[in-house]
Amino acid sequence: MTTIADIDKMISRVALGDRSAFSDLYDATSAKLFGVALRVLNNTASAEDVLQETYMKIWRYADRYASNGMSPMTWLITIARNTAIDRLRATKQTDDIADVEDRMAASGPTPEQSAIAGSEAARIVGCLDELPDDRRAAVRGAYLEGDSYADLAAKFDVPLNTMRTWLRRSLIALRECMTQ
Amino acid sequence: MSEALTPEEENRVLAAEYTLRLMTSEEERAFELRLAEDRALERDVADWVAHFADLADEYMPVVPPKALKARLTTDLFGATDKSTSLWSRLGLWQGFSLAATAAAAVMAVMLITQPAPQVPTSGPLFVSEIAAEDDSLRVLAVYDGATGGLRLTATAGQAETGRDFELWAIVGDNPPRSLGVLTDDGTGNILLPDDLQGAVGGMVLAISDEPDGGSTTGAPTGAVLAVGQVTDL
Repeated sequence: MTTIADIDKMISRVALGDRSAFSDLYDATSAKLFGVALRVLNNTASAEDVLQETYMKIWRYADRYASNGMSPMTWLITIARNTAIDRLRATKQTDDIADVEDRMAASGPTPEQSAIAGSEAARIVGCLDELPDDRRAAVRGAYLEGDSYADLAAKFDVPLNTMRTWLRRSLIALRECMTQ
Repeated sequence: MSEALTPEEENRVLAAEYTLRLMTSEEERAFELRLAEDRALERDVADWVAHFADLADEYMPVVPPKALKARLTTDLFGATDKSTSLWSRLGLWQGFSLAATAAAAVMAVMLITQPAPQVPTSGPLFVSEIAAEDDSLRVLAVYDGATGGLRLTATAGQAETGRDFELWAIVGDNPPRSLGVLTDDGTGNILLPDDLQGAVGGMVLAISDEPDGGSTTGAPTGAVLAVGQVTDL
């Protein structure tokens, strides 16, 4: 069973140029990171490219991991999410949804991957629950789908400035809730 | 409402917007300039990253296609790694299936035994299938360590009229070296230069589209159409 400590160790070894550790890291984490790319991009081919680019960055920047203090999965997911959002902004094409859903149904996570996915208690979820429904949905959309203010304004059919105000208020409320 | 925020609160909101990627790319660049010099701001971003990380549980894992890992490894490390076995090296061949490998091996044996039965080879044999991703061009290359000869046979594809296929050898990070131009019927019999003979095991062969007679610059000038990794047979 792959644990968070194992992932941590793998990244440290990857930072030293250990190719077999890189292979192990890919096997243990690629399903989660592919899930991130698929959710943001909604397009299988783009998500595959982004996954490739993500692991190239991981190989290149693994030596920066030790000093940044993040949990290893958070670090990996942040790279995957940002790479996917960069791609989304560059192309802005989100067809192919049925294709993604087919694939999701076809291939579930392995037990190892499920173990990694189930992380610590989710405090932000409790704080999100205190927000009005539409604001909670907007924050979640921004995080999970990489929506910009403009995307969210269109999705919720409100003016851009209104969306900006909603979101900023929600973020202040979240921050207060989480530091209590 | 933003007029009610203290500068610290404003920074925290900006940090959240940055973490969520709500900013435009211009705003992101401006924020990153501040971030590089402001430790408190950096901590705000780190806090938000940690907070939002809990939402990442909702990203549902999806096992990626197997071929992706092979492509990634090839792109990162090149196709061969001398410390790995032949079989795992075969797995790294770009656009190359095991079936094709077997076919290439069979054809290599035919090439050696059929047209030149008078040459019993005793040196190491190397084979490479130099193939375009879409298989529009495939050239089989067989290197005989005993003679230093590289024999080429196109099994698919033909140079356009007035153009030639030029063969290149790439060793490590060195620039490609021309090995000559294929004949119009897609064959070639090339004596590998001495200094390349020792490096044949980790070599990559590539074919580019060049003017009639080949590149005049010493480097590929046209599109690289096909690439193949050399491995021992």
